[in-house]
Amino acid sequence: METTETVHDRIGTARNDHTTAQLALVFALVATLAFTLLFVQEPLVHDSLHNFRHAVGVTCH
Amino acid sequence: MLVDYLERGVLAGAIAGIAYGLYVMLVANPLVGYMEALAEGAGGAESGHEHAHAAEHAHTAGEHAHAAGEHAHAVGETTTAVVSIGSGVFWGILLGTAFALAFYFLEPALPGRGSVKGYVLAGAGFLAVSGAPWLVLPPTTPGAEQAYTPTIRIAIYGGLMLAGALIAATAIYGYRRGSTRSRPLGLCLAALPIVALAAVTTLTAPTIVESGAIPGELVTAFRGLTALSQAALWVLVAGCFDRLQTRARAHSSTERRVDLTTSSRS
Repeated sequence: METTETVHDRIGTARNDHTTAQLALVFALVATLAFTLLFVQEPLVHDSLHNFRHAVGVTCH
Repeated sequence: MLVDYLERGVLAGAIAGIAYGLYVMLVANPLVGYMEALAEGAGGAESGHEHAHAAEHAHTAGEHAHAAGEHAHAVGETTTAVVSIGSGVFWGILLGTAFALAFYFLEPALPGRGSVKGYVLAGAGFLAVSGAPWLVLPPTTPGAEQAYTPTIRIAIYGGLMLAGALIAATAIYGYRRGSTRSRPLGLCLAALPIVALAAVTTLTAPTIVESGAIPGELVTAFRGLTALSQAALWVLVAGCFDRLQTRARAHSSTERRVDLTTSSRS
């Protein structure tokens, strides 16, 4: 039952069901998306995301 | 199971992201454009730092010469608008995926019953991603002057995200400990670290963002709008995720029942 499940069990289930590579891929995907949206300083990308960063409230220029 | 969660997270994030993209298109884009023009107008009149800021922008963009006092961008207005809308959708997907990932692992540790868990996690996410950093680095209005270099500010932002996550974890831990005695005590214990964080940052943190030429009321409105839209995005992600989760569970349980009845008949 769900109520008796712990965080530790969830980690165990994830490790049993998926390979380390698969799990790393998921985390890498999230990190890449975050990095691209917020921290890329490449001028073209950075500037075209300008309004978006203002709207989200994380502007850094 | 993790895959199911991620699937729902991406879908919930996409739904919330489309709503957020619409917000960016209909509200944020015109507003930022207007405030930019306002800041430039005032900056041109003062002929102060705004000019230097624009020059710096043009320089980093590898662009030469810009009209006097004009905010030079590397890309056109239309591209900025379209990309900003698109990134609004991606922002929703990112939050949805991160939410699902965290929810999968933390679900057993979250307080509350049923859908409450999701909203608790969404609140924690808002605190970590936006709330805590904003206490020191409030949403910047166009034309605002900021202290320190972007690298230092990114480091501060990252540090505050970590602090926000820790504060959220402490609050949840406090609630769990306190609520075994009584619910109000749990809520008080949960509020304690958040209030402490707000108090400490307002008292000790230096003012990094200087809003410049924009009127104070407009700055307040812009910050309020930003805060509310981010909070709404989190609520929408948690709400959609919960609906998808409930639907999937109902679906799988009816399937199981059908399986049982067919197997008992045969």
